[in-house]
Amino acid sequence: MLASYDTAVLRLGGRELRSRFFLGTGRFPSPAVMQQALDASGVEVITFAVRRVDLDSYEDDSILQHLEERGLHFLPNTSGASTAEEAVRIARLAREAGLGNWIKIEISGSPVTLLPDPIETLKATELLAKEGFVALPYTSDDPILCKRLEEAGAAAVMPGASPIGTGLGLLNPYNLGLIIEEAKVPVIVDAGIGSPKDAAEAMELGASAILANTPVAKAKDPVRMARAFAMAIEAGRLAYEAGRIPKKRYASASSDPAGSLFRHPAMSSTGEGY
Amino acid sequence: MTEKPWSDFELYVITASSNHPGKDLVEVMEQTLIGGADILQLRNKTGPWESVLQEAAALRELTRRYGVPFIVNDYVDIAIQVDADGVHIGQDDMPIAEARRLLGPGKLIGVSTHNLEQALKAERDGADYIGVGPVYPTDTKPGRAAVTTSYVTEAAEHIRIPFVAIGGITLDNADLVLEAGARRLCAVSAIVGSEDPADACRSFLEKIGRCKAIERNAVTTIKLNGEKHQTSAGNLEELVRELGQGHKRIVAELNGVIVSKGMWADTAIQSGVDIELIQFVGGG
Repeated sequence: MLASYDTAVLRLGGRELRSRFFLGTGRFPSPAVMQQALDASGVEVITFAVRRVDLDSYEDDSILQHLEERGLHFLPNTSGASTAEEAVRIARLAREAGLGNWIKIEISGSPVTLLPDPIETLKATELLAKEGFVALPYTSDDPILCKRLEEAGAAAVMPGASPIGTGLGLLNPYNLGLIIEEAKVPVIVDAGIGSPKDAAEAMELGASAILANTPVAKAKDPVRMARAFAMAIEAGRLAYEAGRIPKKRYASASSDPAGSLFRHPAMSSTGEGY
Repeated sequence: MTEKPWSDFELYVITASSNHPGKDLVEVMEQTLIGGADILQLRNKTGPWESVLQEAAALRELTRRYGVPFIVNDYVDIAIQVDADGVHIGQDDMPIAEARRLLGPGKLIGVSTHNLEQALKAERDGADYIGVGPVYPTDTKPGRAAVTTSYVTEAAEHIRIPFVAIGGITLDNADLVLEAGARRLCAVSAIVGSEDPADACRSFLEKIGRCKAIERNAVTTIKLNGEKHQTSAGNLEELVRELGQGHKRIVAELNGVIVSKGMWADTAIQSGVDIELIQFVGGG
């Protein structure tokens, strides 16, 4: 029997979250698969985008159609915006729909990399935080920028591991580590995660949560992958709380050499590395 | 039972058994009510009194079920006996005052008129509504010269009580009659003589509805989700309904300002406004 350990709750925007996994809702093969993936993942926060209504379609393709009874927390994003002003407009529209006041600020500065525009992101964060939004900026993994975002009123900072949808994993764990070290608000690693291993790595670094979409939705089996991510994120968090060993250059035996049946000259050292 | 005031009627139907040989009168008339006809007249100028009474009783029961006013042509006594909502009389029938005396004040009196003079007189004499026609030559009233749409236009200008255009009106010429100023139509053979009277009624009502929408608001050109769009909607709520999007969770923005859903009905749509309708889609 596996004992279960509670990891610390994540406090964000006045909420207490048990799950540190935020799931995006785009690119799933069908709404039914997405529903199952939600079940398998145990997520409490889902993201979605704001778009013009398809006036040629009578069918209600709104992502929220079957989700409202789940008691999830909704995190709309401002994707499609390329200026702070556009992001603010999208945030207001999303809030008007009555789904709360959380907003993921996503302001793309390049159609190729979809990397966030740091200047506009900072502006939007300041404006939206002042308007009472729980501002969650998606940002590049720049420790100084993340500090500035925090000062501008971000409720959490969301540095990308690598560009959106690339699945390249943590390109700069050093920077992420610095951001986490410095931050007084939660750090949610968003974008570029390729597999549960990347998620676990980020969590072990001390990230507060992971936001992923493509690696789940586009997996061969999104439902199983959703579960795998949930487990990896929990494992990473547990490991972070448990405290990993420091890295060493040379081996150290798991058993004390004292009392060894044989005596070799090399074994007489302390076993410690340099 | 009647949900709207009788005077709001748009489509007046009249019986004509000779137009549907082999089909039951009540069944055909029920189809017209299913199709949305909102006032019904029994006209039987050839049958014996007893069978007119029988038809009147059956149609009274039918129209009551549908909450539609029921009018009897000529036979004031039958109208009284079956508790019809009123009578319709021609120029050669009893005077309005006489019909009013027999019926009492709560009942409707309609009068057929063929020129403006007759119309004004009927209005003065206390008619509740008038028929204006025959607009086109008709087999229902052979031998009577058509008054053309010019009398419809005169009536629209001078008559304050409800008037209904009648005579030879079909789905092919209904738009011309509406353009001439009619807002209530009566068709006989085009409805009860049709294969599908309910469908014929719906088509007439659609034409009347479209005409009224255009009249109410002319057609407005707006910018909708970045594209030029023409609408006859008067307010935001009507626009969303007109677009067939009323069931979606939508947020609306007018000239860059969010309009909360509770305000849609009070938000007039003027020419040139910029409207964005947005919703949520999957995203990360």
